[in-house]
Amino acid sequence: MSFFDPIELELLKNGLESVVDEMALTIVRTAYSTNLKNSMDFSTGLCDTEGNLVAQGLCLPLHLGSLPDGLAAILNRYRDDIEDGDVFILNDPYEGGTHLPDIYLYKPIFIDRTLLGFAAAIAHHTDIGGRVAGGNACDSTEIYQEGLRIPPVKLYEAGQPIQAIFDIIERNVRVPRNALGDLRAQLAACHICEQACYRMATRYGLDRFKAGFSELLLYAERLTRSEISAFPDGVYAFTDQLDDDGIDPDPIPITFTLTISGDRLIADFEGTAPQVRGAINSALSFTKSAVYACLRCLMSPDVPTNSGCFRCLDVRVPEATLANPVLPAPVAARGLTGFRLANTIMGALAQMAPDRVPACEVGGDTGISIGGYTADRTPFVFLEFLFGAWGGRPDRDGIDGCASIVVNFSNNPAEVIEAEYPLEILQYGFLPDTGGAGKYRGGLSLIREYRFTETEGILQIRSDRYISHPYGLQGGKPGALSRNILNPDDEARELPGKCLIPLKKGDVFCHVLAGAGGWGHPFERDTERVLEDVQNEKISIESAKRDFGVVIDSKTSTIDSEATIALRRKR
Amino acid sequence: MRVGIDIGGTFTDLVAVSDSGHVDVYKLLSTPEDFGQALLDGLDVILERTKTPASALTELVHGTTVATNAILSETGAKTGLITTRGFRDVLEIGRLRMSRLYDFSWEKPKPLVPRRLRREVTERIAVDGTVQTVLDEGDVSDAIAFLKAECVTSVAVCFLNSYVNPAHERRIGDLLRSAGDWTVTLSCDVLPEIREFERTSTTVVNAYILPVVQRYLRTLKGSLETMGTKAPLRIMQSGGGVMDAETAAALPVQIVESGPAAGVVATAALGNRIGCENLIAFDMGGTTAKAALIEGGKILGAMDYEVGGGISLSGRLLGGGGYPIRVPCVDLAEVGAGGGSVLRVDAGGALQVGPDSAGADPGPVCYGCGGLRPTLTDANLVLGYLNPVGLAGGTLELDREAALECLIKTVADPMDLTVEEVALGAHRIASARMVRAVRAVSGERGYDPRAFTLVAFGGSGPLHAVDMAQELGIPQVLVPCAPGLFSAFGLLGARMQYDRVRTVLKPVDDLLPETVDRLFNGMAAEARVMIPGAELSRSADLRYVGQSYELSVTIPDEVHDLGAQLRKGFETAHKRAYGHMAENDPVEVVTLRLRAFLPAPELPLQAVGVTSGDSDSRPAYFGSDLGWHDVAVVSRSQLSVEPSVGPFIVEDYDATTLVPPGIWARLDEWGNVVIDLKS
Repeated sequence: MSFFDPIELELLKNGLESVVDEMALTIVRTAYSTNLKNSMDFSTGLCDTEGNLVAQGLCLPLHLGSLPDGLAAILNRYRDDIEDGDVFILNDPYEGGTHLPDIYLYKPIFIDRTLLGFAAAIAHHTDIGGRVAGGNACDSTEIYQEGLRIPPVKLYEAGQPIQAIFDIIERNVRVPRNALGDLRAQLAACHICEQACYRMATRYGLDRFKAGFSELLLYAERLTRSEISAFPDGVYAFTDQLDDDGIDPDPIPITFTLTISGDRLIADFEGTAPQVRGAINSALSFTKSAVYACLRCLMSPDVPTNSGCFRCLDVRVPEATLANPVLPAPVAARGLTGFRLANTIMGALAQMAPDRVPACEVGGDTGISIGGYTADRTPFVFLEFLFGAWGGRPDRDGIDGCASIVVNFSNNPAEVIEAEYPLEILQYGFLPDTGGAGKYRGGLSLIREYRFTETEGILQIRSDRYISHPYGLQGGKPGALSRNILNPDDEARELPGKCLIPLKKGDVFCHVLAGAGGWGHPFERDTERVLEDVQNEKISIESAKRDFGVVIDSKTSTIDSEATIALRRKR
Repeated sequence: MRVGIDIGGTFTDLVAVSDSGHVDVYKLLSTPEDFGQALLDGLDVILERTKTPASALTELVHGTTVATNAILSETGAKTGLITTRGFRDVLEIGRLRMSRLYDFSWEKPKPLVPRRLRREVTERIAVDGTVQTVLDEGDVSDAIAFLKAECVTSVAVCFLNSYVNPAHERRIGDLLRSAGDWTVTLSCDVLPEIREFERTSTTVVNAYILPVVQRYLRTLKGSLETMGTKAPLRIMQSGGGVMDAETAAALPVQIVESGPAAGVVATAALGNRIGCENLIAFDMGGTTAKAALIEGGKILGAMDYEVGGGISLSGRLLGGGGYPIRVPCVDLAEVGAGGGSVLRVDAGGALQVGPDSAGADPGPVCYGCGGLRPTLTDANLVLGYLNPVGLAGGTLELDREAALECLIKTVADPMDLTVEEVALGAHRIASARMVRAVRAVSGERGYDPRAFTLVAFGGSGPLHAVDMAQELGIPQVLVPCAPGLFSAFGLLGARMQYDRVRTVLKPVDDLLPETVDRLFNGMAAEARVMIPGAELSRSADLRYVGQSYELSVTIPDEVHDLGAQLRKGFETAHKRAYGHMAENDPVEVVTLRLRAFLPAPELPLQAVGVTSGDSDSRPAYFGSDLGWHDVAVVSRSQLSVEPSVGPFIVEDYDATTLVPPGIWARLDEWGNVVIDLKS
């Protein structure tokens, strides 16, 4: 029987969503590290006693599958050993986690001594120890090199902190004050959730409140099935690739096949490369998150983000592959692979829904870590992920300068970086002629230049798309490639996409993100839009002619219609 | 005579108080092509009616949408921007984030200055304030020549790290001013704070609206003088204080939220009068609902606001939907729930209210203007809460049959529910959405809403207030006199106010008393020029070293150990907001703030347009337990200080108050309808 009519259920859903959003705001406001407070690289949620995700904060789509999988690992060990005041922690990608920097906290919530569910907060910590500062090295070859590995354990027991765990974390990371500050932000978020659940349980009554969780899961399942039924039946396959793993030079293919049949959906990664030696292997739950996040974009915003939605999506990933590695494969830089998985999945979705899905986006591939010690031996670790641009869309241009659709990150203000790290930002802007040409143009590359002001440091680059271009669709051209350049005004040394190099005082490092793909044939682009791009110095007059077939008089800044028509006819 | 004038998108409201305390009000349609026209017309009517000569006007206080409107309708000045070389795209890149997830059709707000008009000059101030690269004045000449050739009429300047050392901005400011008759906005004057995008955006918004607001206020001032008055014209700021029109014209970015702030000021003033210090202001109109908090008699402020960000609760978390400005403003949460919100059934079989709105055109089905989708107003009409004879004193008749038929066909039948259940469901879902706005300013800020009184106003606020109070556990709802004109009343209860800020960014223990004194003295001198004889209040924004968000702590007049006092105040605030504090972690002071103000005039609030007609009744629906119920419909004057038990409906000239079954309501000595949920 049902405890909630559809109207009451909607009210319950809104109530829980505001709780998990409040958790997210708490992390933003209290965290210490840039990657949490500015970039929002974290997720918050509420799970039921069985480990199902009931509600997730408006945070990071690429964490969608992570919260329930992490909790499953805890329930596996502790199902009969959970008491009020406990807090569980883990980060092991081979038991619930996805890579070591992501620390998971779960706080069981008890109402009248009955377990209601779990408040959950995942946060990407800036450093987790290991051989390279910033926790994102591509060239580790075993998980054991990547930092502190925490199996599912208790961080608090019956309200008392397990000091040993805190001490071990403190001893293993480069900047303990930040790690502990960020951990407190996660705890604060769980505390906020617990308080809110007390209030709601009082209002609804515990049994009814709990029943509401299952009804919300069923509701999401119903909505998801109806969405899948509306997808056209068929088999849609797409292959994209990573340039390399930072160790072996070969490209790494990712193949994805989507099968729709009635209200059934199978997402299969058969054909994807075997697991690689470098640290870009993506743990299974991260691969599932990429599928969930992409499919979610094709569903109505009404679908609640919970396990009821996910259980309709059958994700199959062969073992010991890039997308489902086995021990001891390294995984630290798996974020890069997450973005490429998303690009690949979107490529398949574009065949199923050509009128909705954009050409290839750019963003997230690039992670920049700069670590070292100041003159007085104080450690510093700078870490940031760079975004991005959207590909051209079936009805409009891509976006110049935007987060990824699967990871809603922000950027870091140059002034904040300069105030907190031994770095100066010399440039941050668009690079002309880099967006994929198309009827609807792909977003431009972003260029970012850093000058290092300490005596010694290590720069670690995780990037890609310097061999394989972001794809265009329906005749749209691919976006420009990415680049890494050391001291561009001096030696101008081109660096590979993934590397670890020492920096000395005054070194300038320049990263250029790839450009996003275009949609539709560029000769169909509205000539006025081409002129506007030229006037705004987003494309050159040469590119207008060569790529878009539009002839512009440089003196009068007007379109030469006759020459344009003649040129476009030759298409 | 003092007059408050609140110009909104639909109506212009005027409230006049004569020297003897007589109150007169007038409501007329706004004139969007020239907002000042309705103001002058309305003022004429009031002066004529009260037989007052224009020369007897002593003060005009104005809440205006002219700044917001220029941004939303893209009718600001053609603006140029000059930045440090390498950073001209900061304005367009923004902070990258989307305000909605999973949406392929997401668009960033179009930059107010296109790339072509963003020019770079060579210069560089280091993070410690030293000049690393001298300002290249040849570059400056080139930029000026380019922007002149483009016929730019307003220029914004934002250089990297200028918050530490504004020398280069000051210099280019001089060069720009002597180069043409355009308006110039320097970031160091508008927002001398770290974070280049937020500072650039705030500076650009100011530059973009500056000529428009200047023109508007000058014209208005001229017309008022022609009319025969030299009374000072004052403008409501986003922060809830008023300032002279000249000051507003110089820094228009401070009046973007002018209108909504007035209602919050009115709530605070009302609280002051009735001796209630903790209130939630709740304002619901045709398309949006807004909530703000007053604690201990003080309006809670915020420092961030997005203009034109659309309306979504997630905006508070995600941002990116509009043009960010950092200026002191009332901390408002806004949701897109109003009478025009459209009802629909989603694919999972659940009822949804909004986010679409039928707006004013075609409007709800019951308006009979071609609306085909059922709205919240239709639901409230079907439930018997609204008078079918019509809104606005009967000027707009409502078609209940049409609303009923449409609700049955599009919502009730597909859901297999009765039309009353669906209408009541819509009413409750709308209330729940607005509850989230209230939570956003209370619970999410660490304040328990149960310790507050809900003050409901605006055309639709009093209709949903009791529902919301029940959901939030709020013990008392108060509906002030003239709920639809409440904001205009607020203008007359607002105080003169002027804010100054200095960035310090120092560990709290390293803060030298003489530094603090020097900074505050500097700010006080500036403030006293603006408001002679002002009282001053001082505060500091603090955070744990590493955090990016600050909490504000008041600095008392008498200070013994400033560092210790600030740290303790901060830790208390942190514990309240987030449930923990980190005793051993260093705390830093980010900014010092000074607010100069004069005492607030007394709010002249009183009942208006009350008719003591015969009491009436009509059937209304409150849920399956009670079924349809014949409900008394009374005017405010028919209530007494003795509580009466609901259900009944109180009809004012421009708003309807709903008192559900079993709830007690009474009139207090000031004419407020007081609804007690605990009795």
